[in-house]
Amino acid sequence: MEKLLEVQGLSKQFGSSAKALQDVSFKLGEGRCTALLGPNGAGKTTTIRILTGLLKPSSGSIRFRDVQQVARAGAGAGAGMGAGGDHRALIGYLPQTPAFHGWMSGLEFAQYAAELCGMGRREAAQRSVELLERVGIGAAGKRRIAGYSGGMKQRLGLAQALIHRPKLLILDEPVSALDPIGRREVMELLGELKREMTILFSTHVLHDAEELCDDVLIMESGRIALQGALSEIRAANRESVLLLEIENENVNENENENENAGQPAAREAFVQWLQSLVAPSVSPARSTAPAVTAANSCIIRYELDPLNSCAAKLIVRDIGEARRIVLEQLLARNLPVTKLEIGYSTLEDLFLKVVKHK
Amino acid sequence: MRMRQWLVLYRKEQLELLRSYKLLWVPLVFILYGAMQPVMSYFLPDIIAHAGNLPPGAVITIPKPTASEVMAQTLQQFNTIGILILSLSVMGIISAERSSGLTSMILVKPISYLSFVTAKWAAMAVLVLIAFAGGFGGALYYTTALFDAVGWQHSLSAYLLFSLWLCLAGSLTLFFSSWLRSGAAAAACALGVAALLALTSSAFPDALAYSPGVLPHLAYSQYDAAAGDNHTLAVVAITLVSMLALLAAASAVLRKRPSLDAI
Repeated sequence: MEKLLEVQGLSKQFGSSAKALQDVSFKLGEGRCTALLGPNGAGKTTTIRILTGLLKPSSGSIRFRDVQQVARAGAGAGAGMGAGGDHRALIGYLPQTPAFHGWMSGLEFAQYAAELCGMGRREAAQRSVELLERVGIGAAGKRRIAGYSGGMKQRLGLAQALIHRPKLLILDEPVSALDPIGRREVMELLGELKREMTILFSTHVLHDAEELCDDVLIMESGRIALQGALSEIRAANRESVLLLEIENENVNENENENENAGQPAAREAFVQWLQSLVAPSVSPARSTAPAVTAANSCIIRYELDPLNSCAAKLIVRDIGEARRIVLEQLLARNLPVTKLEIGYSTLEDLFLKVVKHK
Repeated sequence: MRMRQWLVLYRKEQLELLRSYKLLWVPLVFILYGAMQPVMSYFLPDIIAHAGNLPPGAVITIPKPTASEVMAQTLQQFNTIGILILSLSVMGIISAERSSGLTSMILVKPISYLSFVTAKWAAMAVLVLIAFAGGFGGALYYTTALFDAVGWQHSLSAYLLFSLWLCLAGSLTLFFSSWLRSGAAAAACALGVAALLALTSSAFPDALAYSPGVLPHLAYSQYDAAAGDNHTLAVVAITLVSMLALLAAASAVLRKRPSLDAI
């Protein structure tokens, strides 16, 4: 993997407050799509703004490969300017909430951005039309931006970021402001762009990251908590998971409070059974003991869904064996199962694990 | 390359002035203001006579001012209201773009901060020259029509000197707009500094003979034959240098904080 960008020991402190970034180091591989994940306030936007040059790091360095070589593509990259030189010509950047001059039309703005990147007038005009078409607002190109919807502004922002064919496209939460259809379209567009350039995008929608990126960087309170290729991280942290859900009795609750008294029994039985699966049996003399020990060997732990006490997640070692035991016992205990799903842990599980354990 | 980018930035500023109608209303206000002063001076006796609160039989004699005096008075008016209008109209020139988040998209493009600032300054200067030409022209027309003709050389140098003073006020606004978050604060600071400059130079005319604050006085005294040459060229040079310094400072401040939504 040839690296395009190398960031080393980046720290940032705003005033005398706690450090927003602490010793952040990572590399972006050429042609890779990297997702920057993390809870709100983890330092994603700060990292991105430092990369774009909008913010000066308190310490640390950012190095682009062959700045000189690519410098001819844009202006201003001449003599070294601070750490690593002026690499703005290499970057296309879409801020979290792009703002525009309302009095300009979309086409005019794209053209303005293109000309600022050093294109000639005709080339700029041609490229603007082409890009607006590509991001899906070609028809609105001649209208004033003041009348654009949030989604259209986001697309125009994407167009202006792409206008000079940057080597590295940096997007700060590109799809969080879009409706589901717009999200879909922009994700597809990013999927196409992935083949043309290196992409770094921050998001807190883990599904997007899983769908699109090759590498992930997970940040947590200003540090990189986990980084690497998505496939490797997945393989290293993959756990077989069994999702279980039993019938929710609360549905009939409106009838009578007293009648309800007997009903949570199923739920209690469910929880008890879960406990018996994981904990070593308290009374090994009981008849279920052999089954329980068998379960112990392949079921590592269980987690009750915090939002729904009728659902639980079993993390298991041997999926085949676990399935057999669970199905058997569910039948034996006559639990009102509504859902049983067998699969692997998702990025979300991993994310929660990383962020919580920090 | 640099030049072309500068022209692109400048064209955008010019277009913004046009589309936001600033290029229309600022000159209009200036024209109205410039024309009003000589007309008011001319009709002042009638206005007082018709005010109706004079006892009957009162006789007032107001000496009719000379054309040069009227022009000097007009310039004095522009020194307060003109600067106020100017700073109000350009106060958000950088701060508004920064707080909306526009600068975080524009300044990541490979352009120099100095070009960004100077393109804005040039648009501001064009606005000043056009608006003040209108105001000054209006004043000159009515003064000539109602009073007497004034020498065009005097008028031209008064126009240029006073335009320079207005440009300095505009540069101050631009600098504060790039330094401070709020546009209103930028306008207030620029007005304050301009007033301070003018005040100090009239309080200490000898010690601060070269201060840019003497520019308005130099402009009035173009119509005063008695006034000698008060190192006009030196003051102009110092003003130009201080404008350049303001622009450099504005771009340095902007480079330090190109956008607000960083935290």
